[in-house]
Amino acid sequence: MDTSDGALELPTLQPMNEPSSYSTEAGLVAACRRQDVRAFEVLYKNHGSQLKSVAYHITCNHQDAEDAVQETFLRAFRAIREFRGQSTLKTWLWRIAANVCFDMSRKRKTETEFTAIHDRGTSGPAQRLALESVIRRLSHNHRMVFLLFAVEGMKHSEIAAILNVPEGTSKSWLFEAKKELQRMLESQR
Amino acid sequence: MNFKCTDLDEALRAPELPEDAVIHAQTCDPCRKQIELWSSISDFAPQLHEEWSSPALWNRIECRLEVPPRNTGSTAWRVVLAAAASLLMAVGVYCFWPTPLVTSSIEPGAFLTAQTLKEVQSAETTYVQAIEKLSAAAGPTLKNSSTPLAAMYREKLSLLDSAIADLKAGVAGNRYNAYLQMQLATLYQEKQKTLEEWLENAKHNN
Repeated sequence: MDTSDGALELPTLQPMNEPSSYSTEAGLVAACRRQDVRAFEVLYKNHGSQLKSVAYHITCNHQDAEDAVQETFLRAFRAIREFRGQSTLKTWLWRIAANVCFDMSRKRKTETEFTAIHDRGTSGPAQRLALESVIRRLSHNHRMVFLLFAVEGMKHSEIAAILNVPEGTSKSWLFEAKKELQRMLESQR
Repeated sequence: MNFKCTDLDEALRAPELPEDAVIHAQTCDPCRKQIELWSSISDFAPQLHEEWSSPALWNRIECRLEVPPRNTGSTAWRVVLAAAASLLMAVGVYCFWPTPLVTSSIEPGAFLTAQTLKEVQSAETTYVQAIEKLSAAAGPTLKNSSTPLAAMYREKLSLLDSAIADLKAGVAGNRYNAYLQMQLATLYQEKQKTLEEWLENAKHNN
């Protein structure tokens, strides 16, 4: 410490940089277990965008999708001490998100039917709207698998872990989802 | 080639469409249309990823994460604040730290007399004890809080403790140096102020 000029340099309160320990799964898990909010912020930065997108296709509007993401993080924060590390943190977080989305889709099923297409501020291409509208008519499991695999690009092994089903079931649900979409799109022609 | 229209479903299950299905579709219009639609669903799906800006979303989540799920919080805080207030009053009554020592501009190299040194050391002991009690009052909330603000306060207090330890080592080798004693007093004051700020902040957030 330099005391030569008589003025002590006292530390000031400034935002800290992201600790390097967050860059490893073990470090991030440990920080999350301590309920370190900044660790959860890292989780949000890593997965928030995909979570919002999937939630949007379940809830059908941006505000509800953001509420779903918020609820996901609140549940995760409260339950983190029960996380035993038997899956990755990402899988665990997505499991919570899948449950939140399921709860929301059950609660808002009736509204969904009527608000699905009209929620968007600007009308997108017809193909997109057509596909979006038929996705919303899929069963929850089929819809989740389709969204996670075909839209968000996850692997079947990840989806199987998130939905707690065998990998073969995930593949089967994807096939059935696409067949159902194909059938619905054909009937619209 | 034995591929029939009824084989199409099975063919579509494969990650890549089998060659015989492709050949069959060249001559079978219904199968060709099905394959085209199937492919277009897969091709178009990634474009359904919905991206929009939500600048306030994390802040909203963070605010909710910071609300501690406690029922006894208000009672606990009353006890903590009462303890802190008592300590501060005790500090004031003792008046153990000579104000001129902190605020006057003591030049490096100024020296204390033996009697003054004794008084300063006595005052320092009392002051340190009072700060330790203040630390104990603020400690549990500061330690248990996972907010970024708490982390920054912890970091600041840790730096202050480290600086105090350094300076005390310097003072130990030069006990009569008034300048070093003043610097030490300044650091103690800063630590006291930081702890009080934290307690005040915690009171408002509770």
